[in-house]
Amino acid sequence: MIEVRNLSKVYQSGEIAVEALKKISFTIEDGEMVAIVGPSGSGKSTLMNLLGCLDTPTSGSYFLDSTDVSKANDDELAEVRNNKIGFVFQKFNLLARDSILHNVETPLIYAGIKKKERKERATSLLNKVGLADRLDHNPNEVSGGQRQRVAIARALVNNPSLILADEPTGNLDSKTEAEIIDLFHELNSQGHTIVIVTHSEKVAQQTNRIIHILDGELVKDEVVLG
Amino acid sequence: MILETFIIAVRSLNSNKLRTLLSMLGIIIGVGAVIAIVSIGTGSQQQITSNISDLGSNLINIDQGWRHRNSSSTEFTLEMAEYIELTSPAVKKVLANLEASGLLIKEEINLRATIVGTEGYYQEINKYYPLIGKFIDKAAVDNASDVIVLGSELATELYGKQNPLGQKIKFNYNDNNFVFTIIGVMEEKGRGITGDLNDQAYIPMSTYMNKLANSNQVSGFIAQANSSKDANEAVEQIEYFLSKYLGDDDQFRIRSQDQILDTISSVTESMSLMLGGIAAISLVVGGIGIMNIMLVSVTERTSEIGIRKALGAKKRDILTQFLIESLCLSGIGGVIGVGIGYLAAYLISNIGGWPFVVNSLSVMIAFTFSLLIGIFFGIYPAMKAAKLAPVDALNYE
Repeated sequence: MIEVRNLSKVYQSGEIAVEALKKISFTIEDGEMVAIVGPSGSGKSTLMNLLGCLDTPTSGSYFLDSTDVSKANDDELAEVRNNKIGFVFQKFNLLARDSILHNVETPLIYAGIKKKERKERATSLLNKVGLADRLDHNPNEVSGGQRQRVAIARALVNNPSLILADEPTGNLDSKTEAEIIDLFHELNSQGHTIVIVTHSEKVAQQTNRIIHILDGELVKDEVVLG
Repeated sequence: MILETFIIAVRSLNSNKLRTLLSMLGIIIGVGAVIAIVSIGTGSQQQITSNISDLGSNLINIDQGWRHRNSSSTEFTLEMAEYIELTSPAVKKVLANLEASGLLIKEEINLRATIVGTEGYYQEINKYYPLIGKFIDKAAVDNASDVIVLGSELATELYGKQNPLGQKIKFNYNDNNFVFTIIGVMEEKGRGITGDLNDQAYIPMSTYMNKLANSNQVSGFIAQANSSKDANEAVEQIEYFLSKYLGDDDQFRIRSQDQILDTISSVTESMSLMLGGIAAISLVVGGIGIMNIMLVSVTERTSEIGIRKALGAKKRDILTQFLIESLCLSGIGGVIGVGIGYLAAYLISNIGGWPFVVNSLSVMIAFTFSLLIGIFFGIYPAMKAAKLAPVDALNYE
């Protein structure tokens, strides 16, 4: 469960302070599939960074599975990212020099999992996303849709509490986009909590709930009857 | 975990082989140079040392001190050799240095040479024997015969491959010509304390004093101690006698073979120390090269660092990864450098003709130093990578 209380983020650049997030509060229950939407500059990327524990808030608190992570230090945040959050990025962010299998194994390396178990878990997930025959390929040898599947497998490999997708279909054509959204639906139906940050209304409409952000504030929190 | 990080580091080095090799170059050259130079220094020193100890470490050289050119100086005389033998129990034998420089003349060849007046014992003292024919013997000294023994170089230059035994040769000294019959040619010998023996020639001491120089003045003596252990005692005894006899410590100078050896050793040692130091500087320069490459690498791979951090890599993981990379660069560079150093030392010792000796201590020091350089110059780039904020690193273009 995600609980955000009066979360603020201020960027200080010289004399000018930019308030990217203004005391935002909301709760996301386990098993939800939520879209966070807003135009560029609305603060949704900042919110995504805070939810992903990639950055710390200026004030407010953020409870992830009942633990306040807003005051955690760098290494504690790294551990939270490793254990509880699976990222899916617009640019896939795979390690270009490593094989697909190794890419999916990487979070497990940092979790200190032994090689044999790593390989089993990564292989089974790559199987699940339909890439069982591409284990030894490098990311640049497969299509964009397949790369995003690798990223999703990587996001799932540590059984995270939250899958955080940042414009996951931004670099994909509409057919592949539909496939990836279907995959998210499938994962959601299996109980995974999924948060998709997007500016695409079409993608947002396929979730269960849309949180609208504008100028750093939550302007609308609507339930979608998909 | 360290093993995993190690594999990650090696994989990244392997993906850019040319750059890896180029950044190792400084370390390779530095380590190689240190090892080669120390080896060359040790090898050539060993050769000099063995040349000198061939002559025997129980030899003591006595010559006139700096004041002998003054009018008040007392000349050394032949009798002093006997006196030293009598008064110094640690001394076995004393030979006078009777030397004259002149021209050896064979038909149209004129050759500048040093002629030494001596006796048979000269061979034993210098461990220096004729290759063909014989040396000056007792009969030749007793009869003051006109015979001569040539050093190997003189024989080669004058006679080439011909057999010089029995030939007559002229020696021009003080505008007088003397004719000698060649009775022997000496073996080849390295440089000793009395200079290059190979271009000296030997005649009986009686012939030298009675016919050539017409005087019993000598330039110095070579004393042989009973054994190398007695050398220091012999030096003291000779010193004591000479200062009494000549009445002045500045009239003579005594150096044992060991002292000469010490001087030469300290010269070659400081030479190789200096050259080794210069080589060590290239090691440090190599380290800076590694730091440069690692800094570029950190900047280039900012987004990789961001991805790794997003996936849960801690500061320590990133730090270790980059530190291992720079350690690998310097370590592999060090290993290659050791190989190249060995090879260079081997080739140069072959060309120079001295023994091929690699000092294992210098290998260890050079290699350890290269690893230390890897850590020292790798730590800053690695810290820089570890400190990157995940957000900034991920969004880096």
